[in-house]
Amino acid sequence: MTRPRNRHSLSRRRLRGFLVVVVLVFTIFGLRLFQIQGLDTQAYAARAVEAGTARTTVPAPRGDILDRNGKDLATSVDGLTITADPSMTSDNAPRIARILVQKIGEDHIDYFDTIDKLRKPDSRFVYLVKGVPAWTAKKAVAAVQKAGFTGVFSEKESLRTYPGGRLAANLIGYVDGSGKGVQGIERQYDKQLTGTDGSSTYEVSPTGQRIPMADSTVKKMVPGGDVVSTIDRDLQWYADQRLADAVRASSSDWGLAITMDVRTGQIVQMSQVPTFDPDNQTGMQDYNTVSRAVQNVYEPGSVMKTVTMASLADQGKIAPDTPIVVPGGMTIDKFHIGDYWKHGTIHLTAAGVIAKSSNLGTIVASQQMSDETMYRYFHKFGFGTKSGVELPGESQGILKPGKEWTKANHATIAFGQGVSVTAMQMVRAVGAIANGGVMVDPTVVEGFISPDGKRTDAEPTASRRVVSKKAAAIVTRMMEAVTAKDGTAPAAAIPGYRVAGKTGTAWRVNPVTGKYVRGQNTVSFMGFAPADKPRFLTYIVLDKPYSAAGGGSTAGPVFHDIMSMALERFGVAPTGSKPPKVRQDW
Amino acid sequence: MSAHLAAPRLRPQKPQTRSRALRLVAPVSSRARKAPFVVVVLTLLGAGLVGLILISTVLQAQSFEAARLSDEADALQTQQQALSREVDRMQSPSNIAQRALQLGMVPSANPIFLRITDGEVIGKAVPAPAKGSIRRVTQ
Repeated sequence: MTRPRNRHSLSRRRLRGFLVVVVLVFTIFGLRLFQIQGLDTQAYAARAVEAGTARTTVPAPRGDILDRNGKDLATSVDGLTITADPSMTSDNAPRIARILVQKIGEDHIDYFDTIDKLRKPDSRFVYLVKGVPAWTAKKAVAAVQKAGFTGVFSEKESLRTYPGGRLAANLIGYVDGSGKGVQGIERQYDKQLTGTDGSSTYEVSPTGQRIPMADSTVKKMVPGGDVVSTIDRDLQWYADQRLADAVRASSSDWGLAITMDVRTGQIVQMSQVPTFDPDNQTGMQDYNTVSRAVQNVYEPGSVMKTVTMASLADQGKIAPDTPIVVPGGMTIDKFHIGDYWKHGTIHLTAAGVIAKSSNLGTIVASQQMSDETMYRYFHKFGFGTKSGVELPGESQGILKPGKEWTKANHATIAFGQGVSVTAMQMVRAVGAIANGGVMVDPTVVEGFISPDGKRTDAEPTASRRVVSKKAAAIVTRMMEAVTAKDGTAPAAAIPGYRVAGKTGTAWRVNPVTGKYVRGQNTVSFMGFAPADKPRFLTYIVLDKPYSAAGGGSTAGPVFHDIMSMALERFGVAPTGSKPPKVRQDW
Repeated sequence: MSAHLAAPRLRPQKPQTRSRALRLVAPVSSRARKAPFVVVVLTLLGAGLVGLILISTVLQAQSFEAARLSDEADALQTQQQALSREVDRMQSPSNIAQRALQLGMVPSANPIFLRITDGEVIGKAVPAPAKGSIRRVTQ
């Protein structure tokens, strides 16, 4: 009987012992659980999330800049940034670098520089090259891997390309390394063009594989909107090419060609030489990247005579056949003024003054208005104020207030000296004469396309009447005499069309000394067609050509070619009417 | 209820019958088989587990497939961009002008139009000179 009793008490003791152990173990578990769940919750949760979450950024492509027919002027493509881990690449740096240079090209990546980067001590991450088109970069990275080297990686990015290269570069502008617009339309409409980068966060296994059906958050990427410019790509190319030839042939410092639809103010073409190539980033010096049409001021010379005549015509003080006695020379405030050809006292009509571009005749005519009146008209024509084209860094030019004018100021401003303008201001002012006296602000943007494909048209630009319709018609008739056989620019005439125009050969101001330089000119030609139903206005400016160059002979042919192409491309047929014969002398 | 309560009064019960009715009986030994139930439960659990594994495997496989397809889409998109850039280059005005010049073409010398409705030629026909306004493409 003792045995079973002993056994009984033994098992009971064991049972108690076990119970204590079990209770103890569970108490420890409980306490630990309480610690984890109750006290350190946040830290543990954060660590768990940290370890099991992966984040990726989805770069938003920048919107396109299109021409008026939807052709790409600037667009975004997938690009890659190639990176490396020097701790893995330093041993094979020269061989990896050679493969990369071979595949990407020497324009983008430097051999020795790459070797240095691949060998950077105490580093596990370097950027080798940024902004390489995805198709090129992928080939390069694949080639490195195929050769058996590790440690070269790629990261996705959005890359800006300009399919036209130098085409309209000064108008379109370019972006900096971070993808922000720094010039032209790229800068002015940066907000519309820039999208919002997306990102996605998801749970991954310790080996990096995405866990299906686990928590993930996705911030949607919103691509940038497109900007539709008013440029016609083909006309733009033709003008670029034609202007480049003219600048070279006349050995000018720079040249400009702008064509505007006078009814809407839309700039259909805006060329500049020399220019730059935003696509391969060549010629990026300030001298090339400056947008001369809006940022460069110069003295326009005789083209301004049209504005003087329009002011007089609006006051009823002049008509094409108004007789003017033109002296052989004048000295105003000890300043001698003559015409470009030597003559004694001659009798010209107002049309003759414009056709022959007589400075003295213009001065005589302009004496009919006071400084204040003339200033008021010039101000109305937009000189001294920005053209409203909405491009960055625009200059407003220099026009002294009428109260401060000297006698010499009044005389020289009448024929476009002593007043500084931008080409865009000049285009807007003469555009008013072409448009029957109503001045329309120029514009380079036709509309916007939102990321979802919805198109909104740009607001029509401001317009206001500056001179009467009759005054505009009078000046147009005078300007038609310029392209006649006995005018100053017969080379600008387009057979079959009536063309109104005006030449300009201005004394050039040295920007450093502020004084005129003998023998240096800025030559130009401004004209519009058809003269009896104006549609386009084209302005050509050539700065500092060889000394004998004149507006009619040098800029005139460029005007002829670009205007012809514009009329042809937009289907503007000749009206068929004959230009009225206007007497040039009496 | 009242009918139920009323019945015993009409027929008074006898005490013997009552005591016999409350006799203690031996418990009925239940011979219901447990095996089928256990099998059913195990089968259900087993099937659930296998199903879970299958679903998870399929999802994993699909995840790999999705990753592969997304890579492929990426590669195709890249290829498409490369090709469309090539098309852009071929369509660019400079390339077309270059080719036209090679074929001996020159830009039209003067704009001229043909009115389809009456066949009238509007504008002045001017023959283009052999060396036109564009002689070489530099832009």
